[in-house]
Amino acid sequence: MSVIAQGYNSFETAKQPEGEIIFLPNPQSVIKLIQSGKLRQHILLVQGGTTTFLSPALTMGAIGVVTLSGAPESHLGILSREFQMPCVMTTHLVDSDSRYVTGGNNDAHFKSVIDRLQGRRVRLDCSGVEYGKIVEVA
Amino acid sequence: MSTYKKRYAEGDNGLRFQDLAYIGNFKELEPVRDGIIGDRTMRARAKSKVLERVSREDVLKDQFSLDELNDLNNYLAWNIWDVLVMRATEGVSGMIPRQEYEILAFMNEFYRWPEILRMTTNEVGAEGVMKIGATARREIGIKVNAVHDWCIGAVGFGMGRCGLLALEAIKPHDFVEESNEILKFMQRVLWGKRQDGYILNSQDRYRCAIHDQDVIDSLASQVEYFEPGSEKHEKFTRFNASAELLAFLDHFDNRLGLGDTGPYELPDGKILIIRDLFTNEEVYHWSDACDAAGVPHCYSLLLVIDPEAMALDEIRVNDISTTFTRPKNYIEHIVGGAVFVRETWNTPMSEVYQVKIDDLEKRSEGIQQATLSLYGKLARMSRRQLITNGMYTYYIDMILPHLRIAGTYEKACVDYDFWEIDQRVANYYYEINKRGFAQAVVPQKIFSGEGYLPFPDGTDLRRSKYFWG
Repeated sequence: MSVIAQGYNSFETAKQPEGEIIFLPNPQSVIKLIQSGKLRQHILLVQGGTTTFLSPALTMGAIGVVTLSGAPESHLGILSREFQMPCVMTTHLVDSDSRYVTGGNNDAHFKSVIDRLQGRRVRLDCSGVEYGKIVEVA
Repeated sequence: MSTYKKRYAEGDNGLRFQDLAYIGNFKELEPVRDGIIGDRTMRARAKSKVLERVSREDVLKDQFSLDELNDLNNYLAWNIWDVLVMRATEGVSGMIPRQEYEILAFMNEFYRWPEILRMTTNEVGAEGVMKIGATARREIGIKVNAVHDWCIGAVGFGMGRCGLLALEAIKPHDFVEESNEILKFMQRVLWGKRQDGYILNSQDRYRCAIHDQDVIDSLASQVEYFEPGSEKHEKFTRFNASAELLAFLDHFDNRLGLGDTGPYELPDGKILIIRDLFTNEEVYHWSDACDAAGVPHCYSLLLVIDPEAMALDEIRVNDISTTFTRPKNYIEHIVGGAVFVRETWNTPMSEVYQVKIDDLEKRSEGIQQATLSLYGKLARMSRRQLITNGMYTYYIDMILPHLRIAGTYEKACVDYDFWEIDQRVANYYYEINKRGFAQAVVPQKIFSGEGYLPFPDGTDLRRSKYFWG
């Protein structure tokens, strides 16, 4: 087990959800995941820190979210606390210097994180005040 | 042990909620921090007294001085940074092009609101505008709240003017008269609501305890208490989250759907937050999804938090009506709650009714059904439709509650083409997609404070935009 990525922690919690990371690129992929009945088997990886994109997943009981941008003050940060669903935001890989840049072209950065995390079985450790960790478990 | 009351002691600097610092129009001076110390620094730099407690007579004056206009401009720029800068990191939504609709709405507001607000002031008088704000003291579930009232000036004037300056569509000395119109309306509504001489929550250490004591006493007597972690706690907090999510979705991912007031200290030392969640706004055509699911205009929730159990260090009900705490997680320390329903925006306060926590299940099903239905509807909209609809959530909704109470909404629609978009802004639709304007320039100018240029010394207070070039 090792920490492969980390980001802002939306809130401190002892919950440690575990699941396979699935990247959701568009609303259709969110709808498809809901319809599959496997929502709760996954940690959801999304680009933005806004909340509308994940609305059906949140209301249907998503267990954990990882975002590539956004902060605890964002809508998704607020909603993750309200749902008490662990959420790691503006995530970066611990073995890379690549970081999200506000207003910049982040395509390469996003791709590197998505490529590394997609399909991995992970556990979210959100016990820290500032940072949440993504721990690979298999 | 909680220490949050220390934040209310004179001289206390408050906690820092972020590592960033603000510069804005004060490039030669020390950067400003967030929170209580930031408010104090910005007020100390003001040239006028407009940011101190002001009197009813001050508010009734029709005209700010140039120093007052610039002090409000500078303070709002910092305040916007204070509440929103971390949001600048959130990137695209994947669903709604929010940066795009926001900047277009800001600019449309700056161009179109002044004459509509002037008409409303003419209809009800300056005292009448103050009474609109005062309405919020005795009602729950109405949109005359911190975020809407703040938006009049911070968004319509501050961000709208900032966006137009960034686009080089206007110059710093343009539209002074119109800026005064917007800011006066904001000041009157906010002053009438708070009644303590301040206009913003940040001036009062992030308190928005606006309700009269008898209103609080009456509401608090209906709170149901429970153990944290209990089934009732779970039912209540999940309902809060689901309704909040739908409120965000119905308002196109913005905070106009959410309104917190408080904190109110209860006799036993617990603290109360009153949260309005606007789950169905009838002026939006897409809200038919909420109609179909039987979702009311607003659910108002009373949240009772145990500050001792969570060792509360600071609580901020900021000027966009959102509660933030340190530690961040207050949900697991909610020890009581109540849910009230306002069926439509004009339901009288006497007909607002309570739903017991054990009876929330059916309500939750309606919220979930509306969320799924609305999501499917939005997912089918084109980018252009999403941007246009998003613009309406800002441009219409931010002053809708005030026009409704003033009784001028219909007049604004009929005589002032309220739902029309200014032709210049319609053309800017194409401009804001160039050179990363919406995605890069706007966050850089608006969230850094860099773009809120002051009105130059000597600018005529009646100056508008008489020269096009």
